[in-house]
Amino acid sequence: MIKITDLEKYYKTEELQTIALNKLSFEVKKGEFVAIMGPSGCGKSTLLNILGMLDDSDGGSFIFNGEEVIHYNERKRANIRKHNIGFVFQSFNLIDQLTVFENVELPLIYIGVKKAERKKKVYEVLEKMQIMHRRKHFPQQLSGGQQQRVAVARAVVNNPKLILADEPTGNLDSSNGNEVMDLLTELNKQGTTIIMVTHSEHDAKFSHRIIRMLDGQKVIENSLI
Amino acid sequence: MIRNYFKIAWRNLINNKGYSAINIGGLALGMAVVILIGLWIHDEITFDQNHKNYEDIAQVLVHKTANGKKRTRYTMPYPLGNELRAKYNEDFEHVVMSSFHSDNILSVGDKNISKRGGFMEPDALKMLSLNMVYGNWDGLKNPNSIVISQATAKVLFGGKNPIGELMTISNKLDVQVTGVYKNMPFNTTFNKLEFIAPWDLYVSSYTWVKESRDNNMWDNSSYQLYVQIANGSNMSSVSSKIKNVVYDHLPEYGKKSHPELFLFPMKDWHLRSNWKDGVNTGGFIQYVWLFGIIGLFVLLLACINFMNLSTAQSEKRAKEVGIRKSIGSSKRQLINQFLSESFLSVVFALILALILVVLVLPAFNQLADKQIRFPYNNLYFCLLSSGIVIATSLIAGSYPALYLSSFRPVNVLKGTFKTGNSASYFRKTLVVVQFTVSIILVVGTIVVEKQIDHSKNRPMGYEKNGLVMLEKVTEDYKGKYNVLRNDLKNSKAVIEMSESSSPLTDIWSSGGGFKWAGKSPDFIPNIGMIFIGHDYGKTIGWELTKGRDFSRAFPTDSTAFIFNEAAIKYMGIENPIGKIVRWNSQDHKIIGVVKDMLAESPFKPVKQAVYMIQYENTSWINLKLNPKKSTSASLALIETVLKKHAPNVPFEYQFVDQSFAKKFVAEERIRTLASIFALFAIFISCLGLFGLASFMAEQRSKEIGIRKVVGASIFNLWKLLSKDFVKLVMLACIIAIPIAYYGMRNWLNNYEYQTNISWWVFAISGIGALIITLLTVSFQAIKAAITNPIKSLKAE
Repeated sequence: MIKITDLEKYYKTEELQTIALNKLSFEVKKGEFVAIMGPSGCGKSTLLNILGMLDDSDGGSFIFNGEEVIHYNERKRANIRKHNIGFVFQSFNLIDQLTVFENVELPLIYIGVKKAERKKKVYEVLEKMQIMHRRKHFPQQLSGGQQQRVAVARAVVNNPKLILADEPTGNLDSSNGNEVMDLLTELNKQGTTIIMVTHSEHDAKFSHRIIRMLDGQKVIENSLI
Repeated sequence: MIRNYFKIAWRNLINNKGYSAINIGGLALGMAVVILIGLWIHDEITFDQNHKNYEDIAQVLVHKTANGKKRTRYTMPYPLGNELRAKYNEDFEHVVMSSFHSDNILSVGDKNISKRGGFMEPDALKMLSLNMVYGNWDGLKNPNSIVISQATAKVLFGGKNPIGELMTISNKLDVQVTGVYKNMPFNTTFNKLEFIAPWDLYVSSYTWVKESRDNNMWDNSSYQLYVQIANGSNMSSVSSKIKNVVYDHLPEYGKKSHPELFLFPMKDWHLRSNWKDGVNTGGFIQYVWLFGIIGLFVLLLACINFMNLSTAQSEKRAKEVGIRKSIGSSKRQLINQFLSESFLSVVFALILALILVVLVLPAFNQLADKQIRFPYNNLYFCLLSSGIVIATSLIAGSYPALYLSSFRPVNVLKGTFKTGNSASYFRKTLVVVQFTVSIILVVGTIVVEKQIDHSKNRPMGYEKNGLVMLEKVTEDYKGKYNVLRNDLKNSKAVIEMSESSSPLTDIWSSGGGFKWAGKSPDFIPNIGMIFIGHDYGKTIGWELTKGRDFSRAFPTDSTAFIFNEAAIKYMGIENPIGKIVRWNSQDHKIIGVVKDMLAESPFKPVKQAVYMIQYENTSWINLKLNPKKSTSASLALIETVLKKHAPNVPFEYQFVDQSFAKKFVAEERIRTLASIFALFAIFISCLGLFGLASFMAEQRSKEIGIRKVVGASIFNLWKLLSKDFVKLVMLACIIAIPIAYYGMRNWLNNYEYQTNISWWVFAISGIGALIITLLTVSFQAIKAAITNPIKSLKAE
């Protein structure tokens, strides 16, 4: 599903150039659950942003679903993104002014799903995430675990083929964290590819494969199955 | 403490350069507009105040009643001056009879110049407290003297002292210079009065004036009368005392119009010169009010920006407020802190505004036809500026100060703080107010423009292009009509020439006493009278709708009348051709009716008028230029011919179309000023909108990032960010339209000939406001929408 080859990314300031990704290559197959680990500043988040087509790379190749997307413009990337990729963030990133229902509904609006259809889909996913009873609440009225469940619900509501999760349990206590990890595992079992950046060895164990990074390079790869 | 306040204030200005620039720039613009308008208003309301006795000077006017309507006139009969001196001496300090001021030729040796001036009684100099450079206030006591302005003296005599020099008025009256007065300020009624000659000279030199005196003619009103009331007297009581002086002296037939005299105080001459049915209906004062209000509104708009941006930034400052409060700052200290910040901004804005005013004042003067100087050393101006600073700091700074200082420290420090809806409602209200004002100004400007266009495009009734008029300011052309006409036509410079008693762009005299079959005995007609030569119609290209033009082939035409259509309607005569009208103890046959010709105000219906042959009473030469020759060549030829017959008369001419265009000067000036102020208002509103939009975009950057990540396109985001502003502007339209309609309806009612206020005026203003809003907001919206979302999300 994803194949990156010699991916490069630099950050430049006036004085120095920092290498964030240094000729990184790996492949993720459809239906895999991959964890990416490494110390702060090793390039994990940069990688995730490029994989999510939120950021450009400075070299290399990125094939998504058999398409070379490295030179795609913003519009094409946005189009791939909204139909194929869901995001889950450490800090949830819900819109404070919108209710739970409206937050989850948002991606469907942007891909032009009709209103009745949207309601059906949002209800389904809220039911699945067990936060149906909170659908009229605003994010600040929920606990952290509930907020992250809403964020996951939003990420999966339009059935993306890929979920990119950036430290999804980083802001949660262990029981809420486990709940979220169970959710992701469940989604993976249903066929969604998941790439997750994490600091937590515990969370990484939920995945099929761990890619360990250092200074923008892959240093080791452990298969857990 | 205060130092600390200002230190922090300064750092905040520097740290938020963008907002500070918008804030201070917007305020500076607003203040510059207010200062300019303030200077303009000051100039208007101090009109004529250079005269020391300003409070006590008045002109005697009269209300006359005809057909149930009162008309107000400036003309007085000859004996009135003497009567007031004789019978009401204790009420007046000075009584000064004066001729109407007009252009006259002043000559010294070979030098001939045309200057405006008049004949006045000797007290004029003292009454007007003229600033004498040479000579003194007794200058007019000798009947063969003349007192001239410094500018005139300079042109005629160079720099030297001209006292005792000889000169000639109108190539006819020999006089000796007895005084030179300093040029009067630009904002005075007598600003253009370049010479004053003695009244006695006027009486002795003009037969018709002498007749007025010798026959004690109360029924011939051809003069002006100025007075200065005695110390301790009161204008209105003197007014009522003299009310019936003219009435009491008139023969029975004159009493019908029931003339009522009254004093028109100098302080009202410039700003309150309109009369309707015997009541003063204001005048230019309405523009003073109008621009005053506009000025205040523009300043208000700028203050609104300030408040809006300050409260908008409040969330950024919330943490600071929390920390300050938790370490012991009182609410009052915080208020002082924020007020110091606004004060600092306002002071910067004032400095910028003053620089702006100094820079644009020359252009403004030209535009407004003023000679306003920047009042560098005027104490009042300094006080006023300080007043503006304090008022603006308080108005603009008080809400943000109260709002920001009321944050609860626990909330803001815990991070649970959210600015409430009330603040955002307040901001929205302010945006609506701004756009309401802007839209009203835009509608106003368009309606004024439309009214000018409407009046400019009125049918003239004659062909004004290629017509030139010259005033016969001396008697040098007397009796030379035929030879002049022949010479001019032979020169091929003109294709026709004629003479008339009024310029084509005015009607100088009107009269009553007309009688005709079927006239109601109660009807007192007043008809404009134009004395012309036989070739008048041919020269100007008038259009006869009935009957025929004057012709030399019919000797009886010397007593024939041609009326305009308005007169026929006014008099109610059916089938007018051949009917007899009796006037001046003589029968006059109507031989023709011409289409109405626009002569007086283009904003009023055409006045009823009669045309009759009378060569001896004409004072204008009208020339139709030869279209086959270039204008400059024709004018050169005309000058040669005229110089041959009147060598001492300067060649001064006016094009009729240009002279007609001057009638719109006042309205056009108002239009230009109003449109500039409207532009400022819109610009300031946009500045505020721009600042607010950028703030909103910044405020919502996280939301925008999230939306983008979950699939929002740039268009989606642009729509999201612009929608709110569009709604506000639409609301502003809804509020502005009825107010603008009502206001402009009232303004148009000043004009009898008026345009309509079409729906498209509002449509254009509203759509224009929407487009401007979208352009302003879109810049920020698109900027926010194309920002990489990871930036805003990373900042979490």
